[in-house]
Amino acid sequence: MNFIYNITVKILSKQEVVPTIYLMRLRAPEIAQNALPGQFIHIKCSKVNYPLLRRPLSIHRIDKEKGEIYILFQVVGESTKLLAQNEVGDDLDIIGPIGNGFNIYPESRKIMIVGGGIGVAPLLALCEESIRQGKEVRVLIGALRKELVVREESFKVLGAKVDVATNDGSYKYKGLVTDLLERIIKEGWLADQIFACGPKLKLKKIVEVSLDAHIACQVSLEERMACGIGACLGCVCKIKTKDKEKDKVKHEYKRVCVDGPIFEGSEVVWDD
Amino acid sequence: MINNPNLEVEIAGVKLKNPVMTASGTFGYGEEFSPFFDLDKLGAMVLKGITLKPKMGNPPPRIIETPSGMLNSIGLQNVGVEMLIKEKLPYLQKYNTLVIINISGDTIEEYVELVRRLEEVSKEMEITGLEVNISCPNVKKGGMAWGTDAKSTYKIISNIRKATHLPLIVKLTPNVTDIKTIAQAAEEAGADALSLINALLGMAVDIDSREPKLANISGGLSGPAIKPVALWLVWQVFQTVNIPVIGIGGIIKVEDALEFIIAGARAIEIGTANFINPRVTIEIIDGIEKYLIENNIKDVNELVGSMKI
Repeated sequence: MNFIYNITVKILSKQEVVPTIYLMRLRAPEIAQNALPGQFIHIKCSKVNYPLLRRPLSIHRIDKEKGEIYILFQVVGESTKLLAQNEVGDDLDIIGPIGNGFNIYPESRKIMIVGGGIGVAPLLALCEESIRQGKEVRVLIGALRKELVVREESFKVLGAKVDVATNDGSYKYKGLVTDLLERIIKEGWLADQIFACGPKLKLKKIVEVSLDAHIACQVSLEERMACGIGACLGCVCKIKTKDKEKDKVKHEYKRVCVDGPIFEGSEVVWDD
Repeated sequence: MINNPNLEVEIAGVKLKNPVMTASGTFGYGEEFSPFFDLDKLGAMVLKGITLKPKMGNPPPRIIETPSGMLNSIGLQNVGVEMLIKEKLPYLQKYNTLVIINISGDTIEEYVELVRRLEEVSKEMEITGLEVNISCPNVKKGGMAWGTDAKSTYKIISNIRKATHLPLIVKLTPNVTDIKTIAQAAEEAGADALSLINALLGMAVDIDSREPKLANISGGLSGPAIKPVALWLVWQVFQTVNIPVIGIGGIIKVEDALEFIIAGARAIEIGTANFINPRVTIEIIDGIEKYLIENNIKDVNELVGSMKI
């Protein structure tokens, strides 16, 4: 609840990094100062009532020194289409930073970061922070085909070892990013923590693979969202929690926006 | 030239510093909006609907955007009255804004027990009044079932009336054939004010999977899309009852609020717009004051129901 702002920010740069996927740099000192990897901003994409609601987008990079944040997004509907039509110098009405952020355990030495498709969006900030903390970081990027592989170089520049999987084999490992993860674990590179973002089914599989290998795994979840500040209870996901009094497992709906978007994979109830 | 027009209105015997309230379910427990503006500026705050026991709510997806509106099927997820008293209301003690608790239940006994519990703590917790939800479209039992029939409306409200001295606002559903008979029944049963409308029942379909977009199949439609329906119903109810009417439905800017006031609303509640602009309530309060000054109206009450026909 601390440090959340509703401000107008300027677009400093815009780039279509691969077809339909855009990188935008925003001047937002208040948000950059307070943001944590894994948090998001809630953007008003339309100036009129259609589309009506804001859209939540992960913070892709946090540059505290320059007071800037980056977003990486794919055009999938009306709102993201309008967002992509903005030009350098235009203003955006945003709320943020929102959410809990990834929890990098101090004792973790080796970190595995797995992103499927546009799911790499929140992971660059995480990679940067992990490396700043002196962790050894490996990144796995999954995409349908070569043209949709995004930000490989940006992760490399930070000092992470990057592997890529494409479904059609048009670039590097042929197959699913989850297969690649399994292979790397089998080869004996065991992370202390795995962090993942991507489509729900992929996350479910990544959590299964992680837990089989006894590795803690945090996932960044998505859900249809209205307010983004914890008021409407629209964006919930089912989470296993311990009933303190009776010491038994119970299920409850937690808000992706402010209780998440990052959850321990072992606590998420997937089949809902 | 008017410099300081009066914005104060009286609802259910309670003086509100201005006619702008928050609609239940769109403003959490108040605290969620405290980073964005001073809650003391509100006419009144209506908190997220509460039930006697905690409620888990409906499975996701619970939200779908529709043209100039949204469907929700939250299903009254809430912490239950004891947690409300223990963990949510104490935070609001530092504010002077009036706090109205929106209440729901499955049975008359549940409503009555809930009302008694709230009455018990009303002084200590500074509870101003109650808004009785007999119009929730997203729960199987109770909820809207009470408010779609004049007899059951009378029955539930008269029972609640006997259980409390707190000011009672009854929130009406638009999903009825004749809202006027329901409004009359609520008035006769002892309601001090009526608020309307709750969300309209609606649905959206995914044409690829051919599944409903909401896990609950149906949901409540809210937002600018429903404003004309809400205005028409407010106008009809205003002409039917002698108690104050609170207008709700798609208010997103000051002009919308003024339309409702002119159509007979003594106060208004702002709902879905809070999700888009967390400061919208304050902007509308300022806008109403500006309108009164520009039109040389010294008291907002002069505007209530002033529609020329």
